[in-house]
Parts: sequence; C-alpha cells; structure tokens
Amino acid sequence: MMPRRLRVVIAEDAAIMRDGLTQILTRRGHDVVAAVADPDALGQAVSGLQPDVAIIDVRMPPTYTDEGLRAAQSVRRDHPEVGVLVFSQYIEARSATELFAGTSGGVGYLLKDRVADVSDFIDAVARVADGGTVLDPEVVRHLLSAGRRADALAALSPREREVLSLVAQGRSNAAIASAFTISPRVVEKHVASIFAKLGLIASDNDNRRVLAAIRYLEP
Amino acid sequence: MLEVSRPDPATAPGRERGSASRSATYAEHVLVNVAGWLRGHARLADALLAAALLAFSVPQIAFGAGDAPVPPSLTAPIRALLAAVTVVLAATVLARRRYPVAAFGVAAAIGAAQVAFGVQHGAPLPVFALQPTNADLAIPVLLYTVAANRPRRVSVAALTVCLAGSAVAIARWAPAHSAYAGDAVLGAAGALGGLTLAAWVLGDSVAYRYRRARYAVVEARAAQMEAERDAQARIAAGAERARELQERRASAVDQSAARLRRIERDLHDGTQVRLAALAMMLGEIKENLQQAQGAPGGDGHVLKLVSAAHRNAKESLTELRDLARGIHPPVLDRGLAAALGSLADTVALPVEVDVRTCQRPSASIEAIAYFCAAELLANMTKHSGASRGAISVSDGGGRVLMEARDDGGGGAWPAPGGGLAGLRERVQTVDGRLSIDSPPGGPTSIVIELPGHA
Repeated sequence: MMPRRLRVVIAEDAAIMRDGLTQILTRRGHDVVAAVADPDALGQAVSGLQPDVAIIDVRMPPTYTDEGLRAAQSVRRDHPEVGVLVFSQYIEARSATELFAGTSGGVGYLLKDRVADVSDFIDAVARVADGGTVLDPEVVRHLLSAGRRADALAALSPREREVLSLVAQGRSNAAIASAFTISPRVVEKHVASIFAKLGLIASDNDNRRVLAAIRYLEP
Repeated sequence: MLEVSRPDPATAPGRERGSASRSATYAEHVLVNVAGWLRGHARLADALLAAALLAFSVPQIAFGAGDAPVPPSLTAPIRALLAAVTVVLAATVLARRRYPVAAFGVAAAIGAAQVAFGVQHGAPLPVFALQPTNADLAIPVLLYTVAANRPRRVSVAALTVCLAGSAVAIARWAPAHSAYAGDAVLGAAGALGGLTLAAWVLGDSVAYRYRRARYAVVEARAAQMEAERDAQARIAAGAERARELQERRASAVDQSAARLRRIERDLHDGTQVRLAALAMMLGEIKENLQQAQGAPGGDGHVLKLVSAAHRNAKESLTELRDLARGIHPPVLDRGLAAALGSLADTVALPVEVDVRTCQRPSASIEAIAYFCAAELLANMTKHSGASRGAISVSDGGGRVLMEARDDGGGGAWPAPGGGLAGLRERVQTVDGRLSIDSPPGGPTSIVIELPGHA
C-alpha cells in the first residue's frame, strides 16, 4: 500500500534540522507546507494551511524552555484533526504524559535522536497524521522502570513486558507480531493477558489501547 | 562602679611567716584576730571607743580630777551643759565613718570653743572642766578618719586646723601654767603635735594604699577598654572582609552557574542539533544504500562504513545528551518543581514531590538543590530499601529548605568520600547545611538548608 501524501508543518528553530527534515520528508513524497521557527508562526501555519501533521520541537523561542510543548497543546485543542508530533532533546516522561492527557490519538512524543533512523521516523509521522499514537521507547522504558506500578508489573512475564512496552510505544498488533516474529493471534493473547493482569479494559482500537496503557503507567 | 577592697595590712603578711619565733607568731596572731574583729564589727568598735572616751571624761566634769576640786562657780546646770557637750564630742566617733568631715568639723568646733573659753588669762590654775578632756582624743581619731577616707587636700586642711588649734591651745595654756617649768609646756606641745601628726600620717598611709589600688584598677580598666576597642575594630574589619568575600563568592557561584547554563545551551542548540542532523543524513544515506543493494552494482562495503558512521553518530548523540544534562539539566529552566518532578519520574521508587516556595531561588541555588535531590533519590533507591519516598521544598526567611524522606531501613551517615559527604561539601560552598536523621531501622529524613541566593 502506497502511503498517502502528507501535508506537514515543521516548527523547529535550528535551520539545519528544519532543512534536513524538509529534505527527507520531501524525498518520500510528502509536502512540507511550512517550516517555521517559532510558536506564533506555527499557530498561523496550522490554522492557515490545515496540515495533516505538525512536527514541533520542544525548545523554541523566546525562552527555549517548553514553548513547543505549549504550542503543541494549543494545536491539539484548536485543531484536533491535526496530528502533533513533539520531539525533544531530553526524555521528560511528565511532558509526554501531559501531552497525551485528554487526547484520543493523533499525538506523538519522540526523542530528537530518532530522526537518525529516518524510515522509522517518517513512519511515526505518518502514524500520528493518521490519528495514531507514538511514544518514544526511552520514555516507555522510564515509565516501566519508574516503579510506580512495580507490584502489578511484576506479575507480567518477560515477554508480556516487552509486548506492553511496544503497546505503549503505539505499535499495532501487526507491528508487534512482526517485531517478535510471532503470529498476530499470539500478540492478541498476550495483550489480553496483560490487560487482565493490570485490570485494564481491553479495546479493539489500537489507539485507545495505547492511551490506556500510557495512562496506567504515567506518573 | 569601682569595687575595691581596702588593703588589709593585718591579715595578709601574718599567715605567710610560719617559721618566725613562737612569741612573735602569737603576738601577730592576736593582732590579726583583733584587726579582723575590728573590721567585722566596725560600729560596735566605734561605740566602745565613744563609751570609753565618755567614761574617762564625765566623772572628771562631775567630780573633778585628782587634787583639783570642782570650783563652786560651776553650778549644776552649767556642768550638765558641759557634760552634754562632752557627750556630743565623744559621739562624733560614731558618725565618723559615714560623715568623716562633718564629724571632724563638729569635734573641731567643740575643741575650738574649749580653747577659746577654757583658759582665763592670769588665772592661777586652768579653769577646770573647760580644759581639754579625754574626750578630745576623739579629734585625732576623726583626723585619722578624714585622712584615710577623703582627698588629701581635705585631710591636709584638717591637719592644719588641728595643728593650729594645738598651737593656740598651748599658747593659751602657757600663762596659766607659768608656775610650772617650761619643759612641761614644750612636752605638751610635742605630745599634742605628735599625736595629731601620727593620726594624720596613719590615715593618709591607708588612703595612699587605697588610692594606689584604685589607680591600678582604673589603669587596668583603661587598658582593658583599649584592648576591647582594638578587638572591636578588628572584628569590624573582619566582618567587612567576610562580607566582601561572601559577595565575591556569591558572584563567582552565580557566574559559574550561568557559564554552565550557557555551555549547555551551546551544546544543545549547536553541537547536538548538528550531530542530530548529521545522524539523520547518515541514516538517509544508509537507507538509500540499502535500497541500492538490491539493485545491481550495490556496494556492500560502503554500506558497512556508512552504517558504522550512523551508529557512532547516534551513540555520540546519547553521550552528548547525558553530558549536557549533567552540566545543567534543561528542565531546571522550568523551575525546581518541574525539575524535581521529572527527577522523581526517573527513579524506580514512588516519590512524592511537594514544592512550596514563595520566591524562586537564584539559578545557582536551584542547580545545587537539583543535584542534591538527584543524589538523595539515587541513595534512596540504591541503599535505603524504602518502599516509598518524598521530597519537599519550602522557603522562609530568605532560606530554602529541602527535605528528603523515606520509609527505609535508616542508618544513613556521611561516610568520608561518600555521596552524602560530597553533598555536604557542595552545600557548604554556599553556606548551606545538611542534617541527617536516620536512626537504625529508619525512617530517614535528610534536610538541606540553602540560602535563597549564593
């Protein structure tokens, strides 16, 4: 299946990264409709150009703290149909779960390093544009190791923990099956078992499943 | 107030000469005892002296002395009056300690009256009863008292009065005694003058020793005050220097915190971004090569090289991120609450974070608090065996208080070279304090107190 042609807005204050992202997206047949460097320009581009997805750096002017995160939240609020992929140079589980709070998909949070694995990154952009959920493996690792749910998580088998980790990253059953080279039916069984052990309500909808897992794990 | 004990001539030397002859020791012993008793019972001694003086004088007035009968011209009322005057004269001894000059004045006035009225020119015998009596011995006692207790100019005046009075008295008696040999008059003059002088010299020597002691005390006090002034000046200079150093240190601490933050920014906005872009480009090249591999003419060797470069770039990114984070955690820019919350999220222990500060501490203090919290949380996770922990921050009086608690096994102590000792040193660089309450069996509470500004 040929991926659909996405309309993308990039908000990133470093020109080298802005240009690099534009190039790799363009080469794969997507439209970078705007590449901006600050939150105000992002807001204008999103409302004016109606993109499928916005890629937003956390650190942006004026104070270079969490302007990107705030901007992403306001895009989520004002334009729920636009997917938002936030990328940060640091793991901040709290920022990630803040971003995911109250959404029903179309959100992603990735470490900036992930752009190095170009295809995976483009794939993540596409999943967010399609209303999917993407959470950086590093954040998931943090959430799983932070020990808040240590007792419940201890009841999971090692394979179940691996599956939960991928679920929380936003992978579909099919993706998980191919990652472990097991059949999708086995993945389904694992997921059902995990959700039963954690006392979560299983859902056929991949996305809702991810959010339930994240909400369960969040600090 | 100056408190000076009078020199004690009687007691001090006596005790130290134990090897002196037995009789001398005994005599001294008696003297010492008498002197001690006199000092202890000054009023009683004065009363006894007054009584003794009266006892010798009043019968003289009433019944005459020796072979001189009371002349008939002295009627009973006049004798009673004279007796009363004698009583007053003797009584001046009682007031001598409190009012030395007044007592002396009264006695001198009575003596002057005796001299003025007591001797008639040409009379064959001195007129009895207005003659000086034994009560006049009160005058030398009072002169002694004045000399011992009053400034020298006062005592010299009193001495002059006494000597003049003696001279006048003897001059007045001389004609009355002309029937007797001149030697007697000379003897009387010598005795009277000698007694007066002796009383004055005794009193003055006591006063002299007293003044010298007082002078020494005043001198010592002056020296002490000067030393205190010097010490105060040194303390003030030291305080000024300390304040100066404190300001310099504060600015050094702030500057270094700002420099670290700038370095982190530079790494983040410059190096890290470039490296990420480089890794992205290598990733892109690698993927293109992988696609080309399928096609004829694909170069497996180049792909291997590029893959290695790609991997290196990614690892460098991770290392650089950790490095920059260690220099200055960017999350601190969002305040201590966000930073500690983020920190608590990374440890494998449920940690409650409660930050209640009215004023944001300076950036350098926030950084110290953050790194301390990181160390304390790491300790908590690794060593305490706790099931949960808490970190709270509050401020008050310009200080920041951070407390880390856990329900673990306790027994935390700042082992030399250990994490807690290092924290203590770090905290002390800005005059902060670290206190540990961690009894065996727990729970543990570690409190760090920092100034609001370095």
